Amino acid sequence: MQRPDPQKLTEALAARFASPTRSTRLTVVLGRWLALSFTVCFLTGLFSHGLQNPPSWMFFPASPVWIYQLSQGLHVTAGIASIPLLLAKLWSVYPELLKWPPVKSLAHSLERASVALFLAASLLQLTTGLINTYKWYPWPFPFRETHYWLAWVIWGSLLLHIAVKLPAIIAGWNGRTVRRAELRGPDRGPATGGMPAPSAAGAQGLNAAPGRWSRRAFLTGVGVTTGAVVLTTAGQSFAWLSPLNLFAPRSMGTGPQSVPVNRTSAEAKVADLAMSGHWSLAVTYKGTRRTFSLAELQALPQQEQELPIACVEGWSQVARWRGVPIRDLVSAVGAPHDSALRVTSLEPEGPYRHMSMPAKYVQDERTLVALELNGAVLDLEHGYPARIIAPGRPGVLQTKWLQTVEVL
Amino acid sequence: MNPSAARNWVTATRIVLGLAGIGLIGYGLLGLPTQLSPTQLVGLLTWMALAVLLHDGVIVPLSTLTGAGLTRAGSRLRPVSAAVLRGALMTGAVVSVIAGILLKAQTESRTISALEGDYAGNLVVFWAVLTIGAAVTIFTLERTGRARSGTGDSRQNVRP
Repeated sequence: MQRPDPQKLTEALAARFASPTRSTRLTVVLGRWLALSFTVCFLTGLFSHGLQNPPSWMFFPASPVWIYQLSQGLHVTAGIASIPLLLAKLWSVYPELLKWPPVKSLAHSLERASVALFLAASLLQLTTGLINTYKWYPWPFPFRETHYWLAWVIWGSLLLHIAVKLPAIIAGWNGRTVRRAELRGPDRGPATGGMPAPSAAGAQGLNAAPGRWSRRAFLTGVGVTTGAVVLTTAGQSFAWLSPLNLFAPRSMGTGPQSVPVNRTSAEAKVADLAMSGHWSLAVTYKGTRRTFSLAELQALPQQEQELPIACVEGWSQVARWRGVPIRDLVSAVGAPHDSALRVTSLEPEGPYRHMSMPAKYVQDERTLVALELNGAVLDLEHGYPARIIAPGRPGVLQTKWLQTVEVL
Repeated sequence: MNPSAARNWVTATRIVLGLAGIGLIGYGLLGLPTQLSPTQLVGLLTWMALAVLLHDGVIVPLSTLTGAGLTRAGSRLRPVSAAVLRGALMTGAVVSVIAGILLKAQTESRTISALEGDYAGNLVVFWAVLTIGAAVTIFTLERTGRARSGTGDSRQNVRP
């Protein structure tokens, strides 16, 4: 019995998956869009990570107050936009997977390994990132840490991939040059550097075969698909898109007092302590300790601020908050305004039970110990009896159900 | 820039990007085991492998099969109409996958103000709008094309 020739087999398989729509130019255009969306995700992700785990050099922009609303909204929206872009980009180079022999040299094997890592990490990152916004965690590893380290792997892989493919990227960068080369024919086309070459027909980028679509039509289709997933989900982050919000896990204006809730009082196990009539807020500085009952806090000068609350999962909501400026409480224990704070919640446990507040936010008159939300006493789900609201910080750092404020 | 200088510039850029990329990949890969246990790392690798298998073994072959069917169906349409049909199906498929995951998540982790939407209903509305929009566009394009053919215009292809 004759043994099947793997090269012929893979060539036959590659022929099955062949499409004249694929070309270096198509891959380059999709790659540009994807590189942009990955870079937006990476930079906005680092910003969010830096706010939550600040290195010594971290800057803390409190103005404009919507800065985190914007950056994290962009992070999640760009991540969702990356899903169709990644699928299209991978489709454009799929025949590369079927090439025989799979490994030609050590350098080729390293290149393929780096692409495999890039591909696997990107698929996982986008999938788990999307599902994380649903607060559903079906995987056996911690989301936050994995998302952070994989981001470095992915962006590093992007740079390495650009380095490897740079000649092909340059060849496919300029649309006019590519179209001229296609019209001249495949033999005189630009170097492809291992990417799909201009089609044999020479002008498939220009004209579609019967029943198929041209390169431009394909790119328009990918653009429309990306636009559709963005428009139907970004309304959770950007108010002007909320009428089109069909498929986001959160909607603006929902939840108690028309503000969405992330961590509930049941999850935090705080209901009994928070609703106790004996609750008080302790503020300490060196040897000084003052406690404020809810009535005492309400008797202090109050300020009202319109501030967004913006979550790491991308949703946000602008609301009216009323309460005591935190710097007034810092003054009440004789501490300087430029102090940093450590704030503790009534939550018995949880990664955000303790929160550090840099001096930048303490000094800001808009940072409140909020007692009211949208004209009514805080709902238990929003942190009754008192919570923190500060401009430009991630929602997880807007500590609810306050117990103590330590001036450091 | 002369060709030699351009080649040097490309080579230098490739070296810088390549080294930076390798450095960042190394930083990420070395960082993972500092926060993930060996069991969690095995879980992560398994999920990564499954993601690739699902993509390469299911999603691409399925989309290729669908594309082949569309080539047959779309060959009776003008290229621009066939492109509208393909684009509409691509959009519908990707949105449906996202909505499908959302519907599954709704059964797993629905909570106060999260996952409260009628996503199945929204998906029906989305498909209805998409279908009507695509049908009207294709109908208009085909009719316009026939009218042009009748006046002596050749069937125009989509522009590059």
